[in-house]
Amino acid sequence: MMMKRMFLILLSLFSLQTWAQDPIKDAVTKGKELFGDLKARHIGPALMSGRITDLELHPSNDRIIYAGTAGGGVWKSVNGGATFNPIFDEYCQSIGAVEIDPSDPDNTVWVGTGETWTRNSVSVGDGLYKTVDGGTNWIKVGFEKSERIAGIQVNPKNPKEVYVAVLGPLWNDSEERGLYKTIDGGKSWNKILYVDKTTGCSDLTLDPKDPNIVYCSFWEFRRQPWSFSSGGTKSALYKSTDGGKTFAKIHNGFPKGKLGRLAIAVAPSNSKILYTVIESEQDQDKGLYRSDDAGVSWKQLNNDFGIVVRPFYFSRIEVDPRNPEVVVKAGLMGSISRDGGKTFKNLGPNHSDVHDVVFDINNSDRMYAATDGGIYRSWDGGTTLEIVENMPVCQFYHVSVDNEEPYHVYGGLQDNGCWYGPSKSPGGIEASDWHRVGYGDGYRVYPHPTKKLIYSEMQGAENVWRFDPAKDQAKTIQPLAEKGEMDAKHKLRFNWNAAMAISPNKPDRFYMGSQYVHRSEDMGENWTKISPDLTTNDPAKQNQETSGGLSRDNSGAENHCTIFTIAESPLDENVIWAGTDDGNLQLTKDGGKTWTNLIANVPGVPKGTMVYHIEASVFNKAYAYAVLTGYQTGDMNTYVYKTTDFGQTWKSIVTPEIYGFARNIQEDYVNENLLFLGTEFGLYITLNGGKNWYKFTNNMPSANVHYIELHKKTNDLVIATHGRGIVIIDNISPLRELTEENMNKDLYFFTSKPAIIPEENGFGGNSTETQFVGENPSTAARIIYYLKKRHTLGKMTMEIQDVNGNKITEMGPGKSKGINVIDWNFSTKPPKMATAKTFALGGFITPRVPAGTYKVVIRKGKDTYTQDIVVQYDPKSDVPLADRKLQEEATRKLYNMSQELAYTVYEIDETLKAAEGVKGKSAANAKAVAPLIAQLTALKETLVVTKGDNYVGTAEPQLREKMAELYAKVAQSFYKPNNAEVNNLEAIETRYTNAKADLKKIKDKELKKLTPLLSPEKGKFAQVPMKTYDEFIKEP
Amino acid sequence: MKYKFVLALLTIASFTVAKAQTVDEIIAKYFENTGGMEKWKALQGIKMSAKANQGGIEIPIVITQLKDGRQATSINFQGKDIKQGVYDGTTLWSTNFVNMKAEKSDAETTENFKKDIGEFPDPFLTYKERGLKAELLGKETIDGAQTFKIKLTKKPIMVDGKEAENIVYYYFDSENFVPLVIEQEIKTGQMKGAIQQNKMSDYQDVDGLMFPFSLAQGIKDKGSQTLTISKIELNPKVDPSIFVMPKEN
Repeated sequence: MMMKRMFLILLSLFSLQTWAQDPIKDAVTKGKELFGDLKARHIGPALMSGRITDLELHPSNDRIIYAGTAGGGVWKSVNGGATFNPIFDEYCQSIGAVEIDPSDPDNTVWVGTGETWTRNSVSVGDGLYKTVDGGTNWIKVGFEKSERIAGIQVNPKNPKEVYVAVLGPLWNDSEERGLYKTIDGGKSWNKILYVDKTTGCSDLTLDPKDPNIVYCSFWEFRRQPWSFSSGGTKSALYKSTDGGKTFAKIHNGFPKGKLGRLAIAVAPSNSKILYTVIESEQDQDKGLYRSDDAGVSWKQLNNDFGIVVRPFYFSRIEVDPRNPEVVVKAGLMGSISRDGGKTFKNLGPNHSDVHDVVFDINNSDRMYAATDGGIYRSWDGGTTLEIVENMPVCQFYHVSVDNEEPYHVYGGLQDNGCWYGPSKSPGGIEASDWHRVGYGDGYRVYPHPTKKLIYSEMQGAENVWRFDPAKDQAKTIQPLAEKGEMDAKHKLRFNWNAAMAISPNKPDRFYMGSQYVHRSEDMGENWTKISPDLTTNDPAKQNQETSGGLSRDNSGAENHCTIFTIAESPLDENVIWAGTDDGNLQLTKDGGKTWTNLIANVPGVPKGTMVYHIEASVFNKAYAYAVLTGYQTGDMNTYVYKTTDFGQTWKSIVTPEIYGFARNIQEDYVNENLLFLGTEFGLYITLNGGKNWYKFTNNMPSANVHYIELHKKTNDLVIATHGRGIVIIDNISPLRELTEENMNKDLYFFTSKPAIIPEENGFGGNSTETQFVGENPSTAARIIYYLKKRHTLGKMTMEIQDVNGNKITEMGPGKSKGINVIDWNFSTKPPKMATAKTFALGGFITPRVPAGTYKVVIRKGKDTYTQDIVVQYDPKSDVPLADRKLQEEATRKLYNMSQELAYTVYEIDETLKAAEGVKGKSAANAKAVAPLIAQLTALKETLVVTKGDNYVGTAEPQLREKMAELYAKVAQSFYKPNNAEVNNLEAIETRYTNAKADLKKIKDKELKKLTPLLSPEKGKFAQVPMKTYDEFIKEP
Repeated sequence: MKYKFVLALLTIASFTVAKAQTVDEIIAKYFENTGGMEKWKALQGIKMSAKANQGGIEIPIVITQLKDGRQATSINFQGKDIKQGVYDGTTLWSTNFVNMKAEKSDAETTENFKKDIGEFPDPFLTYKERGLKAELLGKETIDGAQTFKIKLTKKPIMVDGKEAENIVYYYFDSENFVPLVIEQEIKTGQMKGAIQQNKMSDYQDVDGLMFPFSLAQGIKDKGSQTLTISKIELNPKVDPSIFVMPKEN
């Protein structure tokens, strides 16, 4: 017995281990067990889409296209680029390269994560992935520390031979860089070419005719938070002719001196012709070079702006598969040459910043371009381009919300300005629902807390606008240099993503952060500096003017020693926190008179680590959360801390369950222990103040979360992803009740707020078939409960009852372990309609219940669980209660009348059936029942349609159809019936009363001729077999 | 000594777990737990009476399936029976909701349908004989439950004129060894590329065989509609005329 028990314990221990051994995976699994039906919805937008990094075409099926994105994962089109669907949601969303295995193009696809267009805001990758079923399932093959993969090539003659170009980390040294090869399909990898820790493999291609010929480029590059360096003595272009055993530089004809980023392309139709684009020391040497002898010698052809612009961001060269003289170079607008690279013109108008272009496999007029604003299709060789409209892969930096109903969502986007749009809209949230409120790279946007005004900004606070949407007027309001701030040493330093904040205490108060905290009490009209320079002001970190390396790149993106986050305590306007990008965490408790740098109190953080976000707690003014990121120095650790003593001490709330460095935390407003954390790889939730974290994966991709906002009124969690647009989890309030006690109950009903019957029945639906439409929130009454275990065996039902226990409706209950959410749209059953030739469409309308208290009853096996649910009329409505009662009364009347009519028709049908049954038995019979049949048939023809169809062949409507039509109008309305409806109802009622009288007359006169002809039931007089009204109504 | 004993136990334990993870073990356990392979194989037909609930509207549905592939779904609206997905052995047809007349399915749909004949009553019952492939992909948590994810590769189908793979994913409960969720990519139409998801629960006994009496059908991460089965008849007496496509009057 003892042994058996021990065995069982061991067995359970073992199985626990097998299910849960890796804390990161454990956080995902436990999240799936917990969150159940609590699902995210995506509202996009997609009208400006987002950055696409790599395009890959199927080699023989022109319907199939894969797209890698900067922060939105991998998307696949199966309809020639009309629409795309995401297929990589569970994994790192930053994509470097996508490669289809040419031997098995329907199934095998490789994905290298980590974008290689290395702007300052670029995300990181976490390795190489592979699918063998066209993208349904993925496995990670390795290269976890590669950070960025620039290219993958599969030998078309041997799928086990794969090359992987690891560009490697952007911010630090790494020995992971280099060119790798497997000869066993990815089981083992050899680094076949390595330069050094600073120089990664940036481009890769095979000779299409001879896969033993390998070309690859290496790039010496490094980014620091305050500068970027492209180029050095180690950048080079290599060729191997023996499948990567040996490599030689092919620089004959190259410029002298240091080289930067180099691209390489082989013309598919003539593999002697190669193109490279060279970043070099002298401007006149830069540009496109061509070799006509497979790399033996090179000749410079072109150094137009479009060819040499920003090599770190644009490098890709694509050659027309059918014509070696047609070549496209990625760039600001994208450039195309039709004379072998001698001259170029821009591609037609599209979104700027083109990263990749591909030609269709069959038709060179058909092209696809990957831009900062989505995928563009061309049908005429790149002159006219149109955007793919269903890819919400925009990259938000920030999000805020207002208090309108429905509330709006505000935020700024990478290279796509600032926008706001509704959280809900008739027919779904469509492209036309979004409004632009800023140009350039958009960052932070805030609605004024009480006035209908919007603050927005573009990069580096070059413009900060206060916009009045009603008047369509924008005013720039950013703090500008004053006397003594005009020289480089003393100028105002704004981060590229400049700090902005509004006060939770004073609606007109508005903050900006340069190296100083600027405060305005009048919405930006006047500014006061309320702090000294809060940064380290380290001159060594302020050399952005020389940033770029071989190609100067002073966009302002490298501005450093700036304030990045400002937070005024909601509990005390004098308590203000500020965090800087160079690692200071500052606090004032006297409204800015004195500041204290608290960073030394934060344990375990390397000096200089960026203070990305500070969340001032709503529970106590001494409480705050700080999120720090060190990724810009190669430190991928997660840093999240809480203080309860004004920053004197900080405690880490990070566990090994969290994957990825964090950028933002959001505190719940009710439950102090409920926190939401955004990391590079998704959303995490803790129920116990950070002792354990769950990953939230329900329709929430592993996207880079930049900012999280909790809407106070709706309890909606609004998430700004940097690659998948805005994602909302509606009403997170159930999470507040997930105590251990409640989770131990077999079934626990969460507290529900009264459900409001929304008085809306508008139109919407302005989108075309291939456009993305954001999902609306549910407006139904939500029945939310927790199940301890997934219900699988035996019966489980759910119904809604009125206060007297009468069943209103039945619904399919949720059976998941964890949170279940069932929507009840306040409907009861539709009326039972008379059977006819066609449908009475109005009869499918279900009446709404009146306001009141209802009971949810769940029966699970032998157990019954109940909860009251309060239904209220829309408080925003102007319909008086007396009018509602008139509407309900008229609905009820028409409902009942429709059912009675159904019974009348049933009676007629049954009688006709009986009469028809005896008619053929004798001539006498036929004669006896002929008047009955004739009269009933004539009557029936006035009650229901007996011919026609449900479309344009429809018959003239009869009583049923007229009744149903009025019923639908009245039942769906929120108003009392108008005079036309009242009069119409009266007319219908009169006609029905007359019909019933007619039926009675016929029955009185003619039925007695039929009944004697029927076979009597046992012990009864002969009569037409007939269900009672109640039996008839209850039958399905 | 004690240490050795624990090790030995662990080895047994790991063997047990590993063994229970082969795809055929899982499938065998499924049939064993739901009535036995032989009883399933002997089944000639079923008739299911169910109701679908769509926004408060309860729609009575009767589904009839026979071993030879004939099948019919009858949906009742306002007292009228509308037939959907009816197969009479040759023709796949449905009633058009607008003019209430029977119409043939397009040739591609019919041909694809025919490839599944022989699946009755369960695709796993004779999958090997029919040349299908089942693979265990691993463990996955779905609906909060721990499951085994099995990939069933069926015969390729044609999609808009091109051949395409036909793959269905089954998630078998690791506790009861019954399918909890079935997923399949939608290959054509407006929802092309989305994942169709059916969730099964309320398994109950019908004359010795276990059937799910609740089917939630929907699109993954979107809403679903529940089909609640009230009655299942095994080997029902069926009037063959229900499968016959009516001629136009």
